[in-house]
Amino acid sequence: MSDVENVAENAAPTRRRLLGWGASGAVATMLLPAPWRAAFGDAKPYKIGSLQPLTGVAAVGGKTALVGIQMAIDRINKLGGINGRPVDLIVADDQSKPDIGRRAVEKMVTEDNIDAHVGGFLSNICLACMPVWEDHQLANMIGVCLDTTLTTTKCNRYTFRTFDFAPAQAVAFAPYLVGKLGKKWHIIYADYAWGQSTRDAYTREIEKQGGQVVGSTGIPLGTADTTPFISKINGDFDGLFGISFGTDGTSLANQLYDLGLTKKYKWAGDGAIAESTNLPALGNKIEGFVGINRYLPVLDPPLDTPANRKFLDEATARLKKIDPSGPLPDRYTQSNYEAINALKLGIEKSGFQGREDTPKLIAALEGLEMKEGDDFPQGDKTLRKEDHQAFLRELLFVIKNGKPHILEAVPKDKTLVPPACSFA
Amino acid sequence: MAISLQQILIQTVNGVVTGMILALVASGLTLIFGIMDIVNFAHGELFMLGAYVGVLTLAAAGSFWLALLSAMVAIALLGALIYVTTLRPLLGRDPLTTILATFGLSLILQNYALWQFGPVARKIAEPISGHFTLFYLDYPWYRVVIALIAGAMIFALWMFLKFGTWGIWIRATTQDRVMAQAMGIPVPLVLATVFAIGSGMAGASGVLFGPLTAVDHAMGLDWILKVFIVVVVGGMGNLAGSIVAAIFISLLEAYASLWVSPAQAVIVSFVVLILTLLFRPTGLFATATR
Repeated sequence: MSDVENVAENAAPTRRRLLGWGASGAVATMLLPAPWRAAFGDAKPYKIGSLQPLTGVAAVGGKTALVGIQMAIDRINKLGGINGRPVDLIVADDQSKPDIGRRAVEKMVTEDNIDAHVGGFLSNICLACMPVWEDHQLANMIGVCLDTTLTTTKCNRYTFRTFDFAPAQAVAFAPYLVGKLGKKWHIIYADYAWGQSTRDAYTREIEKQGGQVVGSTGIPLGTADTTPFISKINGDFDGLFGISFGTDGTSLANQLYDLGLTKKYKWAGDGAIAESTNLPALGNKIEGFVGINRYLPVLDPPLDTPANRKFLDEATARLKKIDPSGPLPDRYTQSNYEAINALKLGIEKSGFQGREDTPKLIAALEGLEMKEGDDFPQGDKTLRKEDHQAFLRELLFVIKNGKPHILEAVPKDKTLVPPACSFA
Repeated sequence: MAISLQQILIQTVNGVVTGMILALVASGLTLIFGIMDIVNFAHGELFMLGAYVGVLTLAAAGSFWLALLSAMVAIALLGALIYVTTLRPLLGRDPLTTILATFGLSLILQNYALWQFGPVARKIAEPISGHFTLFYLDYPWYRVVIALIAGAMIFALWMFLKFGTWGIWIRATTQDRVMAQAMGIPVPLVLATVFAIGSGMAGASGVLFGPLTAVDHAMGLDWILKVFIVVVVGGMGNLAGSIVAAIFISLLEAYASLWVSPAQAVIVSFVVLILTLLFRPTGLFATATR
């Protein structure tokens, strides 16, 4: 065999060689620092953990939530990090299950040594993880969980919610529901922590406005066919109020329409039912739905700001990469993006260096004022000291021609409820 | 608490319709178990992938019926591929190995769908949009049509097994695999065909159920647990038993939901399951021999 043939044979891409090249490429890619890395030199990164449901029933929201987190961290690192230090993100998948979520955060805290946590999607998982933050004295910025008790009866000093919660939404929405849609309501809710606490908040506020909740129907999480539940709904009332999200919300809205219930009664509810990521699966069956949401992917007033346009464009481009149908950003993308930015402000303000500085970080976050701009495209918000709950502008909207149209913007000071938390 | 006749009739219609969908999904699962002794934990994912094939075909061709057919064929082929590459090498080993293999497959298929199609749920538009008045409800004709199609498909499967040459081979293989092989029946091919048919039925169910909800990577999860209950109560591998059990359990749940919350009514299925396992482990509707 000649040398030329030897060389040719040596260079031939055998399966083993291809595997070798592939592995080397993968390792090289992993070792190659991100472009912004060089700017930080030896600066020790802040380690931020994020628990998200990337598989299982809540994966739809978990994936869009993670886009918000990554977008915020990439922006922070591009702009020079926080206090000159880069931010590293450590992501864990809770598989939409509380036991797995709890184990994953224990690992992030004890093995990955995160400095703070931003995330959490399903309320039952957030509740299961609450003691971990307290035990390890670590700041936790909730990304999505809406269960009321997280900042009321089960609140703790280490946990902050930089977006709205059901009592504030109910205060903002109930006057419209009772004043413009009807006095008597039947509530259909996702039968778990968030759904139950939201049902209670709306019942209270509807009654305060002179309305009445004549009945309620709970639907267990993950129920694909809700017909046995909703076909029992009948009687003399004005409207149906839905509290659901994700695919469960889609099934509920589809099947209420199919049984003619959205024609027979007024149809309103939590904005999560008509979230931008749900609209493709709902088609025209969600027309006329009136909802409340903190964020909508539109550029109508009051969201016609340069900051929101920038956020909307970048988030849409990033979401296209994870879903070929090109969804628009939802409130989960927005609240996670802003939660990271709130943490950034807290770190800058307190000079936080690591876990041992958590008390200083907490002090900086308590009462934090967040101003509308590139960090907070949704709008101004205040993180209340007494319960670590934020108050912000709410948007009432109606779905027309498959898109949300803003009916009314409720200012943040019209959403206030008294604090109901006492830190141990 | 007084229950009106209206509500009893509405829940009867709900129970029969849900039972027929359940029976269609269960028929594929029970066929596979009855003939191959494989408990297919990936059945729910084949149901989900069938729905996705339906979404793609509907977008490309615009025909629901073509989507139904293409999903059945595509998932049947996928089933045959899964059988040949993953399950055939495990036949004859400890049944736990096939359980673990199909469980692993279910995770792979679920995550594949999430990666390939993204997290946003898709829609399959129903081919029939009319309603009829069922007391205080506008009941969609499509739900009735699903029940009829499911019944027709199960009947076609029964005819195929009863009178078709391949059906006779399948039954012979079920009774005695070694003797069937000795009689010249191509047993490996028969087994692959059975897995393909069972998978195809799951794929078709996914398209039929798609319009009622949304198509996403997790859509099979809620069904698969109920389907396993049906298959155990009906008698593992007993096709007729599974169909009767599907309707029986759905009706029981529907009637129970008249008195208690539908969430609590689900407990009835589990009570029936436990009683079956305790007192008639071969299934409520099992024949003396299989």
